[in-house]
Amino acid sequence: MSPGEDRRSRGFLLVVGAVVVSAILVGAYLAAGGSSYTPEKVQNPCEPRPWSNPKSLGEIANQFTVSALDGAACKLGVTREALARALATPEGRQRFKKKYGIDDKKLAQAVRAGLVRAIDDAEEAGALSPLIASPLRETVQRIPLDQAIEFINDAESFLGNVNSFLGPAQSLLEEFLP
Amino acid sequence: MAVGVVLADSSIVVLALPDIYRELNTSVSGVTWVLVSFNLVMALAAVPAALIARRVGPGRAAAIGLAIFAGAGLACGLADSLSTLILARCVQALGGAAAVTAALELLPATVGSEQRAATVWAAAGATGAALGPALGGILTELVSWQSIFLLQVPVALVAAVPILAVAKHEAATGIVSTELRRTGRPHLWANLALAMVSAAIAAALFLLVLLLIEGWRLSPIEAALVVTVMPLAALLGGKLAGYVPEARPRAAAGAILVSGGLAGLAFLPKATIALTLPPQVLVGIGLALVLSALTETALGGRAPQAIHGGWTISARHAGVVIGLLLLTPIFTADIDQQRHDAINAGTAVILDSPVNPLLKLDLAEKVSRRLEEEKGKVPTIGPAFEPLPDDSGERSEVQQLQGELQDQLDRGATHAFSTSFILAALLGLIALLPIALSKEVEL
Repeated sequence: MSPGEDRRSRGFLLVVGAVVVSAILVGAYLAAGGSSYTPEKVQNPCEPRPWSNPKSLGEIANQFTVSALDGAACKLGVTREALARALATPEGRQRFKKKYGIDDKKLAQAVRAGLVRAIDDAEEAGALSPLIASPLRETVQRIPLDQAIEFINDAESFLGNVNSFLGPAQSLLEEFLP
Repeated sequence: MAVGVVLADSSIVVLALPDIYRELNTSVSGVTWVLVSFNLVMALAAVPAALIARRVGPGRAAAIGLAIFAGAGLACGLADSLSTLILARCVQALGGAAAVTAALELLPATVGSEQRAATVWAAAGATGAALGPALGGILTELVSWQSIFLLQVPVALVAAVPILAVAKHEAATGIVSTELRRTGRPHLWANLALAMVSAAIAAALFLLVLLLIEGWRLSPIEAALVVTVMPLAALLGGKLAGYVPEARPRAAAGAILVSGGLAGLAFLPKATIALTLPPQVLVGIGLALVLSALTETALGGRAPQAIHGGWTISARHAGVVIGLLLLTPIFTADIDQQRHDAINAGTAVILDSPVNPLLKLDLAEKVSRRLEEEKGKVPTIGPAFEPLPDDSGERSEVQQLQGELQDQLDRGATHAFSTSFILAALLGLIALLPIALSKEVEL
């Protein structure tokens, strides 16, 4: 091999080596999930979120909160996550209202709608009796905003109270109804 | 030494930028100008500085240049506002441009020939550029960001000592090249490729450092240790270059490796330091191959060296400016979007967890407050989860949640840089076109 050919072949090998090494690296990273290493997308709150057969009051309360947040967020056209952060404190609520241009009336309507959706979901999942769900649905549509938010934030106490108040009534109704 | 010090200055502040950003209370775009201003003035001043060096004598020009560089370095170290710092950086670049271009005229007398001088000059520049970030990170962590500039003062003055002897000789003998030779046109394709590759390399250094410090919350010294891989790999690249005498394949292979490394950084499959090492090795080897090959090509057979060296300095720094100005708005917008997506994903993890609703909403609120406290940055989420619940079952659930939320934030922080890394990789690949067109040059 002449010196000129040797020089050329070394250069050629260097370029080919660079292409191969680069392709291997990028290929390996892509195969290891490099293109999908992104934050997970959050679910559209207007889409149904199935209940996973809750048994205890705590589990029911958990899903109730999530359903209520979904319903309210869907009504407002925001993510469930943004709403959850907003409803946790009065300051958070103020920031949220300012950011999205929402007043108390609109927020109250949305939160009440969220509670109705949570009751619907709970009833559909068999976690709430229809006899309790109907009056509850009527009630939550009339409650003030702060109380509606408290029901979402502390669903366990809310559902516990509902059970203790309406539970005996349900037993009575079940006794007299055919 | 003078060339290394000045060209390291182009990248040495990269690891100090987050500290400067916090201390001088500015924005990401604002702090970018600490880098951009220096490189922009270098790009604009390099050729005029070379012409002046030819008129007044390279010894005098280099000595004056280094004195200005040192004085402005002192001003940078004492700056208490972003505008003062940027102004001092501009003056520093003027002195640096004079010193670097004049050094190329002085080198043949020291190393024996113009060709050897070009090789040494290119290697000093590549080493300085590669070493800069690691050195800057260590100084920032151990002392302060100001120490980077203050340390440059004695180093520049030491480099000026042997040059002073040449300057005195020039003054005594009056040997100055007042009669300018025809310089010939600058090598368009090599300089164009140099600009593109420099844009890609600047982006690699700048983006990687920001990812490590702002995204993955490493300290400057930890980040400096991580990016040390690049200069180490550049040493390997320098050795490799010795086996391939032809400049064009070296430049092409270098550009491909830089692009491959950048693409690797764009597709990191996890927020782990170890995964940044192989791409850095590629970028390091690539930059050593491509910068020296293109500089040698741009200087090869052209005279006077100072002026053509000025063109390469101009091209390199113009490339850095283009890279930074092109990519900064893209990744700052991406950081905001990814931070938002990561927080939502993290909140979703909390809401969907089996943790007690009262506790989960409390956590969501704390995360929200944490975001407010660290506005505009990727937050450290740990404090939002403190104090941990007393109940062991609940504590382990909360700790798991913390891990999942942090994972979402890491995903967001890492992905925020992907588009910019891809664009930088494309710049490196586009440089292959002018490299291919520079075929007529024989060294």
